[in-house]
Amino acid sequence: MAATANTEARLLSRVLRVGLAVAVLGQIAWSFRPEPSSAQSDQQIQGRALYEANCSTCHALDAGGTVNGPSLLEVGPAAVDFMLATGRMPLANPNDQPERGQPKFTSEQIDALIAYVGSIAPGGEPIPTVDTSAGDLALGAQVFLNNCAGCHGAGASGDSVGGGQIAPSIYPASPTEIGEAVRIGPGVMPRFGPETIDQRDLDSLAAYLVWIRDNGDDGGLQLGRVGAVAEGLVAVVVGLGILIVVLRLTGAKR
Amino acid sequence: MKRDERVVAAALGVSILAALTLFVVYVRGGNPQAEGALLALALGGVGIGLLVWAKRLMPHIRDETQPRSKTAPATEADREAAVETMESGVEEIRRRRFLSRMLIGAAGALGLAALIPIRSLGRSPGDSLVHTKWTPGARLVTAEGTPVTESTLETGSFTTVFPEGFEGSADSQAVLIRVEPDQLQLPPDRIAGAPDGLVAYSKICTHAGCPLGLYLAATHELRCPCHQSTFDVLDGARPVYGPAPKPLPQLPIEIADDGSLRALGDFSDPVGPGFWEQA
Amino acid sequence: MIVRRLVDGVDERLDGTSFIRRNLGKVFPDHWSFMLGELALYSFVMLLLTGTFLSLFFVASPAETVYRGPYAPMQGSEVSLAYESVLRISFEVRAGLVMRQTHHWAALVFVASMTAHLVRVFFTGAFRKPRELSWIIGVTLLVAGIGGGFTGYSLPDDLLSGTGLRIIYSAVLSIPVVGTWLAYLFFGGEFPSAELIPRLFVMHILLIPALITGLLSAHLALVWHQTHTQFRPKGTPESSVTGTPVWPKFALKSVGLAFITFAVLAALGGLSQINPVWLYGPFVPYSAPSPAQPDFYAGWLEGILRLWPNWEFHVFGHTIGELFLPAVVIPGIIFTALALWPFIEARAKHDTAVHHDAQRPRDEPVRSGIGAAGIAFFVLLMLAGSNDVLAKYLQVEVDTLNGVLKVLLFVVPVLVYAITWWICRDLHARDSAPIAHPPRVEFRRNAEGGFDEHHDEARSRGDVAATQGDREQP
Repeated sequence: MAATANTEARLLSRVLRVGLAVAVLGQIAWSFRPEPSSAQSDQQIQGRALYEANCSTCHALDAGGTVNGPSLLEVGPAAVDFMLATGRMPLANPNDQPERGQPKFTSEQIDALIAYVGSIAPGGEPIPTVDTSAGDLALGAQVFLNNCAGCHGAGASGDSVGGGQIAPSIYPASPTEIGEAVRIGPGVMPRFGPETIDQRDLDSLAAYLVWIRDNGDDGGLQLGRVGAVAEGLVAVVVGLGILIVVLRLTGAKR
Repeated sequence: MKRDERVVAAALGVSILAALTLFVVYVRGGNPQAEGALLALALGGVGIGLLVWAKRLMPHIRDETQPRSKTAPATEADREAAVETMESGVEEIRRRRFLSRMLIGAAGALGLAALIPIRSLGRSPGDSLVHTKWTPGARLVTAEGTPVTESTLETGSFTTVFPEGFEGSADSQAVLIRVEPDQLQLPPDRIAGAPDGLVAYSKICTHAGCPLGLYLAATHELRCPCHQSTFDVLDGARPVYGPAPKPLPQLPIEIADDGSLRALGDFSDPVGPGFWEQA
Repeated sequence: MIVRRLVDGVDERLDGTSFIRRNLGKVFPDHWSFMLGELALYSFVMLLLTGTFLSLFFVASPAETVYRGPYAPMQGSEVSLAYESVLRISFEVRAGLVMRQTHHWAALVFVASMTAHLVRVFFTGAFRKPRELSWIIGVTLLVAGIGGGFTGYSLPDDLLSGTGLRIIYSAVLSIPVVGTWLAYLFFGGEFPSAELIPRLFVMHILLIPALITGLLSAHLALVWHQTHTQFRPKGTPESSVTGTPVWPKFALKSVGLAFITFAVLAALGGLSQINPVWLYGPFVPYSAPSPAQPDFYAGWLEGILRLWPNWEFHVFGHTIGELFLPAVVIPGIIFTALALWPFIEARAKHDTAVHHDAQRPRDEPVRSGIGAAGIAFFVLLMLAGSNDVLAKYLQVEVDTLNGVLKVLLFVVPVLVYAITWWICRDLHARDSAPIAHPPRVEFRRNAEGGFDEHHDEARSRGDVAATQGDREQP
């Protein structure tokens, strides 16, 4: 219950944040009209400072990218939010694989960065609105199994996909982050536009993924939801193991 | 030849003829009454033959009296006797060479007739493995039957497509991917079938036939979740890693005037893993 | 009184001598490792019990229906009747899920304990003349057990097992000359055909259980008739067998073991989730989940497929598919060699004698080395079969892991053979050598207050009696 409330609160904050970002951008656009370089908002100044300190080394001051990091032109707010909110960026070392972690910035700072990157590299995918309550579990399961399970695993617990890449577990991801990943295709993941996964599909997908995080283990221990590898290990080590201990205890040793 | 021997030979001969006829009847489409009657003749012939053989042609093998209780472990003499019994029995049957040949013939014919119902288990492969449901002009649709147009996919996206009317077809499934057009390195005769960076390949792995569920968009690689065969989408789905021996067959497509995507024909090669009839 | 009449009644009818007394008094050696086969037997009993229950509810049909059961994420989905009935067993039939999961765990433990039993028989040389037939039946039982497991695993018509069937179909397809015909006859046409599930069902609940029951009876009858091998106690001849009489002690122990086996399987069935087909979704031919592994007993086959090079042969305008060698020829060679092992070893050692003694692994360094190397080989293949899961947990690249495993597959078995051989030889030598006492050195105080070393040759010889004798002197 707490998790749901949390998710909803987070969702609300996202919606507000998007609204805020749009408002801020509008204000920025308005303020830029007479003299582009002056009268920046506080958020803009904060975003610029954060960008220059944490991002510009690899992505360049003009967001055009360097040998160490890709261009941010046209990546859009969804990508910036996804990378920062899931703690994948900034990387300590540009050669590291971006992996989920503790976000380095507060949500206010992330909003500032989104706004700033949006001002120097406009366009790209907006942060999607994901409403799990508008989704349908069965449709979500179908979308997930046909599009996502091939990499993330039927239980959404993640699997390695080759080339040193791992399709991560989806359990820690919020509905908005799920939506962002679907739309932008972070890392090696392909992107799914509204023509292949429409808004209803997306809402349903997120609803299903939130649902299986805490459900679907009617059979008992979920064993990491990795299937036969864990099951085989348990059968041999626990099942046969216990029985062999019983044999040792009851049978002759010599 | 004595009369009894003639009876046995006739019975076995009837059995052979019946079994062979049964075979022919079966191959020509079958008929329940004929099949039943011929099977009865083929089996009954062997039965009658063996019964008459035992009853009339082995009068010199007489009944014996034996103790009931079990005996001690076998001695060397016992073993010799066992071998002797076995061999003399075989010799007794082989002694009548014509009849024993007839018996072998009857067993063979029956075996042949008995084997052929296995044919009922499946249909002839014919050239069904070489063709799929794709025909020139077939519209590309998703598994739900939604037509795919040139605007469906953004660069870096993929979806699974089927020929319209055959949604979910196992052998016709194809994966449609959009890449940057100038990145495609297809041979000249195949580039026309991949307009505007839209390229379609069979979704069945050429290794063990699993559907290729993984698309690594950043490296433009299709990967199989079963045994990790990896195909380079830009380079004609050439296998670049893993046990798959062949590229994925390409499905040539075109953008029709109404913006929908249509197949130009069937796949460039038979789909899926290798089989004997494949060149 | 009733017992008396019963015993008399049976004896009067079965044999002139005392059939009951002879068999009730029969003794079985009770070394713990001799009971591994019983674990397999009782797992099989559990399979029959739970399987009978499941068969009352399972619908072996691929016909489409719309799911309307209680499992929310499937409601309204088009599924096959087979898949629907498995969800019904899991979520609606009372005690259905525990039965289903116990059945699946029992299948895994069945094959695992058969394998453990086979390993024990191998390392103790219990397959030697006159027990070759028991060994061959045992290997056949293992193959039948794997076949039973695979056909059962495929019945729910879920996405994961459908992928496994597709691989088997492709393997049959790869057989030269007759492959396509065989595949079409066995699978009822091009994969996936509507004939498949009913056929698998007949194999799973009729042909294979009947085969296993028949072979198991023969296997047990042979053990009963030939008597069990044993680690022979000192002072008894090889023609004798020392052990616990069947009635009542061995029987009670064995039945107790049966119930412990049932208990462990039931505990697993209730507490630990296995094959949650509702998460995998219904079979569709154009999707495959990941990780996609078969049950563990086929994991080594999966490993061969993942590691085998991408060789496809073209002869006289025909193709020999890539799968033919790794999926058909290699497993065929492995099981044939395994079944013929008693004859291979007897020929290599020119051994035509009859043996009733179980050997200690250390006494046969070469055989033990081969056995250990074989185990290492299979374990490595199973690791290869689960390489994507391993890579996820170990945080390494799958492709790197594959490369390492390919090398290890050739190196490790050789090393394991050498090490095992060396350890066995060493242990064997230590067992057969007389107990050697270390040279005895005494330090005696000398006049200057220091110590002198005194080596006592007589005491160093290791003659225990002599040493004890010395001690008695003041």
